[in-house]
Amino acid sequence: MSSVNVVLDHKSRQLDLASEPVAIEVKDWNLYYGQKKALNNINMLLPEKRVTAFIGPSGCGKSTLLRCFNRMNDLVDSVRTEGSIRLHGHNIMDKSQNVSILRRKVGMVFQKPNPFPKSIFENVAYGLRLAGENNRKVLEEKVEWALKGAGLWNEVKDRLQENAMGMSGGQQQRLVIARAIAIEPEVLLLDEPTSALDPISTLSIEELIFELKEKFTILIVTHNMQQAARVSDYTAFMYMGDLIEYTDTDTLFTNPSQKQTEDYITGRFG
Amino acid sequence: MLRTWMREGNHWVWFNAMAVAISLLAVIGLISFIVFKGMGHFWPKDIHAYTVQDGQGGTVQLIGELHRRSDRVEGNIKEGVTHVPQLLVKVGNRDIFGADFKWVDEHAVIKDITAKDLIMVERYEWGNLYGRLKSVTLGDGMTVTGNQAWDTFQQLIERHTELHKQIVRIQKHEIGAINAGVEQLRLDRRRLELDNKLTEQAIAKLDEKRRQLDGEYQTLLTQMRQLEQTASALGKAQIEIMTGDVVTLPIDKIVESVMPNAMTLTEKFGHYFHRIWVFLSDDPREANTEGGIFPAIFGTVTMVFIMTVLVMPFGVVAAVYLREYAKDGWITRAVRISVNNLAGVPSIVYGVFGLGFFVYVLGHNIDQLFYQEALPAPTFGTPGLLWAALTLALLTLPVVIVSTEEGLARVPRAMREGSLALGATKIETLWNTVLPIASPAIMTGLILAIARAAGEVAPLMLVGVVKLAPSLPVDSIAPYIHLDRKIMHLGFHINDVGFQSPNVEAAQPLVYATAFLLVLIIIALNITAITIRNRLRERFKSVDN
Repeated sequence: MSSVNVVLDHKSRQLDLASEPVAIEVKDWNLYYGQKKALNNINMLLPEKRVTAFIGPSGCGKSTLLRCFNRMNDLVDSVRTEGSIRLHGHNIMDKSQNVSILRRKVGMVFQKPNPFPKSIFENVAYGLRLAGENNRKVLEEKVEWALKGAGLWNEVKDRLQENAMGMSGGQQQRLVIARAIAIEPEVLLLDEPTSALDPISTLSIEELIFELKEKFTILIVTHNMQQAARVSDYTAFMYMGDLIEYTDTDTLFTNPSQKQTEDYITGRFG
Repeated sequence: MLRTWMREGNHWVWFNAMAVAISLLAVIGLISFIVFKGMGHFWPKDIHAYTVQDGQGGTVQLIGELHRRSDRVEGNIKEGVTHVPQLLVKVGNRDIFGADFKWVDEHAVIKDITAKDLIMVERYEWGNLYGRLKSVTLGDGMTVTGNQAWDTFQQLIERHTELHKQIVRIQKHEIGAINAGVEQLRLDRRRLELDNKLTEQAIAKLDEKRRQLDGEYQTLLTQMRQLEQTASALGKAQIEIMTGDVVTLPIDKIVESVMPNAMTLTEKFGHYFHRIWVFLSDDPREANTEGGIFPAIFGTVTMVFIMTVLVMPFGVVAAVYLREYAKDGWITRAVRISVNNLAGVPSIVYGVFGLGFFVYVLGHNIDQLFYQEALPAPTFGTPGLLWAALTLALLTLPVVIVSTEEGLARVPRAMREGSLALGATKIETLWNTVLPIASPAIMTGLILAIARAAGEVAPLMLVGVVKLAPSLPVDSIAPYIHLDRKIMHLGFHINDVGFQSPNVEAAQPLVYATAFLLVLIIIALNITAITIRNRLRERFKSVDN
């Protein structure tokens, strides 16, 4: 399916958040950095196999919220949280939750491409090997599948053993996406995935996102409002740790219900 | 003009350039000085025959190498002093004259000739001998004189060198192995005795083995005796020394003989490299002032390798704990400061600790537990290779920890997060991603550790390095690497030859040559480590930016 068709398909369909199957449920969610409150009583339902974008000015807490879904905030000692986040009904903040298994279900792609200084093949196989997959044949199949899924296969199939650090920035970011989808997560978190890339690489990543939502629930944080409008089905606008408005993308950008949202999308602040 | 020049910071550039130039000059100066002083020693020098006034109207003859020139001070302060130029001549023949060197006033020399027929004979004992070859008596009593004498002489020496090699091989390796076997039998017997299992059968078995070894020993001994007889029956050389007396020198006492004044430049070069090779590959003789220094080279390198094997895992693991796991509280900070301070503790303190703790406490207990049969002779309860390496490992631990910690700190957060986000645990992230990326820094720690360890002498004298080790720490007798053996070391060798030698003038060039070799070995070890590091850096270079 070409990306043009996807765009048409996406735009022609009427979206309704209330009727979507729920992937993640955030309830009464508060997060503190030491004494400072960074997220204030967030409540939201994130739909399955859709792209949900988080927008808002710098420091509004959108990245912090994204990092809650795979518990990357555990790494920061001063972070304290209240409330619950449920992935398909299971509370991921539960003590019994194995963080490694959670992160296999909730993959993440970061702002700056961060391939490991290993071969292209080993980069994609990294998560698979961690999951205990050592069969060469299975690895080869899955690496190929992931690279195709990330639209990178044709470019790298002849140089899988070369070091990934030698690729271009756009290729590196797609490699990182391949690495994340290789372990077949349910959710894919994209934390400003194109902010370090040139426009052409950005376009290819955006096209990729269209294709990936067939299989994965995608949450994307972006600074770029055009990007949010282009790629997402639903958009959440955050400001100062509050979730101000959360609805389908068309409505949010064309007919926002909140004054703050309107000010932000029309460029009056942020 | 000057102000602009100053404002642009040019004076700083000049100042910096000057500092670099001085450092460079110091390094080049140091290396060329020790090369010049040390490597000249192996050059076949001309032999002079001096005719010298003896002060009573007569003359004496001095034959030898011109070692150096110097001034003697005559007179006293009140009446004024005069400097009398002197020559120091290496006349050899220590067994006859009592000393190798003689001073002679330059003005007393009335004739100085470098005749082609003057020869130098290097002997296994008593150092060199200088003189003229008169004749050679073969084993069957035939005497060769004239032109053929020199060629026959050379052939005989060559034959003896072959025989000598065989004798040394039997003595050191084959009989050495049998001795080790006999010692092992004694220990086995003692072990059985201690365990109260020394039955008649066991004794019979041990005795049987013993008889077998004794038989082998007798065979070898006969073989060796035969070789020795052949060697001593090779013949004798009659050599006229400077007093005009003729001394008779059995061939089997001679290492080599040269006629330097008759040598062409090519021959001299050939001989020069031959002597360097002997210096590198041979065992020392004559209280370390002659022969080679191979055991010291071998000991130094072995010890550094074992030190590396000991210090790297410890240092890296400690650094990983400090940087990755320990909570950053005052205890961690105190530990870190202590580790940094350990690097500044004088090395002799480590030596004292090594002797007091490793040798006397650890070694003693190891002996009590595992080597009881050998007691009261200590196995590990005495200085040895293991303790020397362990002491150095302790000494270099701080640099490894500090470098590894710095390397870990420089691994970008994105790398760790990338790995963690794929479901890796902390330890998996460390093994698969963080440590490989930090490996160049770990190698830097290793390089610094090697540089420090290979040059250390003071602590080693206490924990396992000796003037003369009877055998190498690695050989063909199980368990192949003998960690309990004492070793020789280049640094200590310099110390020993320089300060403890009975023959100071002869030892001096050896000190420089050994120092040069030590520097070369450290450079070689460092270059190896740096090459590995650069390869790793190349692999991980794009991670840093």
